[in-house]
Amino acid sequence: MPSPDSPALVSRRRLLQLSGASAAALALGIDARAAQAAPLPHQEGLFSLGVASGAPRPDGAVLWTRLAPEPLAEDGHGGMPSRPVMVHWEVATDEEFTAVVAHGRALAQPELAHAVHPRVEGLEPATEHFYRFRSSRAHSPVGRFRTLPAPGAEAESFSAALVSCQAWYHGHFTAHRHLAAEEDLDLVVFAGDYIYEYGITEANLRREGASVGEVHRVETETLEQYRLRYALFKADPHLQAVHARAAAVAVWDDHEVQNNYAAHVSSTGIDAEDFVHRIAVAYRAFYENMPLDLAALPEGPDSDITTGFDVGSLARFSLLDSRQFRDPAPADAAEQQREDRTILGAAQEDWVAERLRSSEAQWNVLANGVVLVPITEDRVDMWDGYPAARRRLLAAMDEARNPVMLTGDIHRHVAAEIPADPEDPAAGALGVELVCTSIASDGDGARTDGYTEDWLQHDYVKLYDGRRGYVHLRLTPQEMVSSFYVVDWIEADDTAEKQLTARFTTPAGEPRLIPA
Amino acid sequence: MSPRPRTVTGLRTEPGLATITLTWDSLGFDPLIDHYRVYAVPGQEAPSAPEESSLLAKTVYPRLVHHGLDPAGETWTYTVVAVSDAGRRGAASRPVTAASQASVTATGTPVAVIGAFDGRTLEHRFAPSSYARIPEEHPEALIEYREGVDSPETAWPYLLPGPGDAWAGRAAYRARWTFPLESAPTEDHDLAVWLVDTTRLGGILRVRANGEHATDLTLPQGATRGSREGDATVPGSTLRRAFFEPAVPAALLQEGENVIEFELAEGGWAAWDAVGLFARA
Repeated sequence: MPSPDSPALVSRRRLLQLSGASAAALALGIDARAAQAAPLPHQEGLFSLGVASGAPRPDGAVLWTRLAPEPLAEDGHGGMPSRPVMVHWEVATDEEFTAVVAHGRALAQPELAHAVHPRVEGLEPATEHFYRFRSSRAHSPVGRFRTLPAPGAEAESFSAALVSCQAWYHGHFTAHRHLAAEEDLDLVVFAGDYIYEYGITEANLRREGASVGEVHRVETETLEQYRLRYALFKADPHLQAVHARAAAVAVWDDHEVQNNYAAHVSSTGIDAEDFVHRIAVAYRAFYENMPLDLAALPEGPDSDITTGFDVGSLARFSLLDSRQFRDPAPADAAEQQREDRTILGAAQEDWVAERLRSSEAQWNVLANGVVLVPITEDRVDMWDGYPAARRRLLAAMDEARNPVMLTGDIHRHVAAEIPADPEDPAAGALGVELVCTSIASDGDGARTDGYTEDWLQHDYVKLYDGRRGYVHLRLTPQEMVSSFYVVDWIEADDTAEKQLTARFTTPAGEPRLIPA
Repeated sequence: MSPRPRTVTGLRTEPGLATITLTWDSLGFDPLIDHYRVYAVPGQEAPSAPEESSLLAKTVYPRLVHHGLDPAGETWTYTVVAVSDAGRRGAASRPVTAASQASVTATGTPVAVIGAFDGRTLEHRFAPSSYARIPEEHPEALIEYREGVDSPETAWPYLLPGPGDAWAGRAAYRARWTFPLESAPTEDHDLAVWLVDTTRLGGILRVRANGEHATDLTLPQGATRGSREGDATVPGSTLRRAFFEPAVPAALLQEGENVIEFELAEGGWAAWDAVGLFARA
C-alpha cells in the first residue's frame, strides 16, 4: 500500500480515507509538490494526443492532456516510463500568454496512462481563456475555452455543437475539421460512441489511406487495448482541433464498452461476473481520455458521469448515463411494457427530475446516448424499449421550461417535436429532440436510405438525413436555432465541404421546429 | 505508484473437447488489473519463471478458454500473471497441468460426416452471412441431406433455425441426414455435433435415429455472431463454440439406409461446424 502522502492515489475510496482536500488535489494533479524531476527520455511528440478542456464552470474548467510520445505503443502506456512525471499548465486571457491568470502543476501518473485532469478555479466568468501544458522542455498545443456566465446572469447567447459515433476506421473526421472552424462555439457535446470496440480489419477499414497494426485487429477487452483504441482515434488531428477549440462534455453510449451492453449484461453472452472486469477497464480508459472531473473517476465497474451545469439563467444542462443502469433488452412485449423497467436507474431518474423541476432556466437541455422519441417498438436498444421510463422522464421534462433532448447513436440526423402523448396527436409537443448523425460511423452515408420511411412515418419527425456531420445550436432567451450540417463523403479523403441540410427555429415557449 | 498486483491464486482447469478452460480467483479492482497474462507450455513441466515466448493470451477476465487443441487430446501446463493499471506485474501463480478430452473425431472411425471439424462454418451452404436465404430455400422448415449424393456447400445450410428466429418464421427446423451402413452395428457408435456458435436464447437440439428419440442436446448461450461470421479460429473471435459427442446405441442403427434427424425444438439457431457418426476403435 502507498503511504498516505503518496502522489499516486487514484482511488476515491482511499481519497476519502485520507486528508480530504489535499489528497484530492494530489489525485487531480493540482499543485503537486512531490515533483519527480528526472528528465524524460522523450521530448518530441510528448503531447501527440492533443489537449482538451471540459466540465466548464463560471470560475474555471478541467484541463486535460495525456503524455504519449509513442501513442500507439502496444502496452497502452504511450511510450512513457513507469513513473510519475510533472506537467505544468497555465491559463491566460490571450493567445500569446502575456496575461497569465492561473498556473499550476499536475502529476502525470502511470496508473492513469499519464493523463492529467487539473481543475482550474478562480477565473472570471463569461471570458475566453487559453491554456497550454509544458513538461520537460516540450510545450503542448494551445487550447481555448470560455468560462460560463456567472450564476443567474442573463446570458445573451450560448452555442453548442452535438457530435457522436466516431468509428475512425469508417472514414475521415471531415465533420470535425469543419466543427473546429466554427466561429460561434462555447461547448461541444459528445453524445456517445467516442470510440468503437470492434476489431479493425480489411472488412471494416473504409478510411482510405489508413492502415492499422495487427494489435488493432481484435475487439478491445483489456485496459491496454482500450487505451490503445483511444490513442488511435485521438491521434486524429481534426478531433484534436475540436477539443482545442472549445470545452467538451461527454456521455457514453455502448461502444465505449461493447455493442448493445446493458448494465452488467453483455450482448455476446459473457457472464456478468466476468463482464464487470471489462466494464471497469473500459470506464477507466474513458476517464483517462476525456476532460472529466474527478467525480467521474471509476471505482471498479462503477462510474458517475452524470453531471450538470447552468449557463447563467439562460440554460440548464443535464448529462445522462443511459447505459450503466439500464435493464436488459426485454424478452417479450409484456416485459417491454412493464412499469418498473428503467433505462436511467431510479437514482438518476430522481436526480434529473429534481434538476428539471427546480430549474429556473429558460432552456433545459438534456443529453443522453439513445433516441427518446417513439419510432418503432422493436427498437428496444433506444427509449422505445423502455416506454414506462420514457413516460416518467417526459412527465419530468414537461415541468421545466423549454426542454430539449440531445442524442446520437443512430448515424442519422433526425429532428423531432417530442409528442406529449404519442397516442393523441391533439396533445401536441412538450419539447424537441435533436439527434446528430455520426462523425464517421457507416462511412459516406446518403441523404435517404432504407430507414428513412421508418422515421418519417411520424408527423413529429421533421428531418432525416443519413450523411455524416454535426449539429450546431444557438440558444438565446428568445429562441433556439438548430443547424444540421453534413458532408457528402468521408471515405476517400477529408476534403468534402460542409453543407447545411436543415435549420430550425424553436421559439421559447413553443416546442416546435420551424424551418428557418 | 499503485501497489503491485497480488499473486494469482485458485487456478483451476476444466478439460473439454479440443479445449481446456482455465479459471482463477479475481484480484478485484484495487489496483485495477489491466489484464492477466496466461503462459502455457506443452507437457507437465513448467519453467521456473514464465517465458514471454510461451505467452498464450492476455485477458481481462479471470477466465480463459484455451481453444484449438488437437481433438486427440493435449496436455499443457499453465501459469498466470496479473498486470496493473500502472503496468506493474505480480508474481507468477503456481503452475497447473491439465489434459484436454479426446474427441471421438480423433479416436473413432468415421462412418458418415458432414463438413470438417475445424471451427469454421465456411464449407456449408450460405455461410458466412446469407441466413435469410435459408427460409426461402426451405419453406417447409426441412433440410434433407443424403450421404454420397449431397455436399455441404450445396445441401447443408450453415445454420439450423429454431422457434426463436423470427427471420426464419419461428419454426422448429429439422435437418434429416440419410446415410447407408453395410451391416447392423454390434457396438454403440458416437455422434459428434460441433457448433461454431449459438444464440443468446440457447435451445434444445433434439436428435432422433431412425425415428427413435436418441438424445436432447442443451445448447449453451452463444455470442449470436455466428450468423455473420464463419470462422471461430480467428484470433480474438467472439464466437462461442460448443461440442457434443453423445453415444448412439447400436440398437437404433440398422443395416442399409439410416436416418439421423436433428430438430431445433427450442431456442434460436445453431451454426454447424460439422456432424459425424463414428464407430469405436
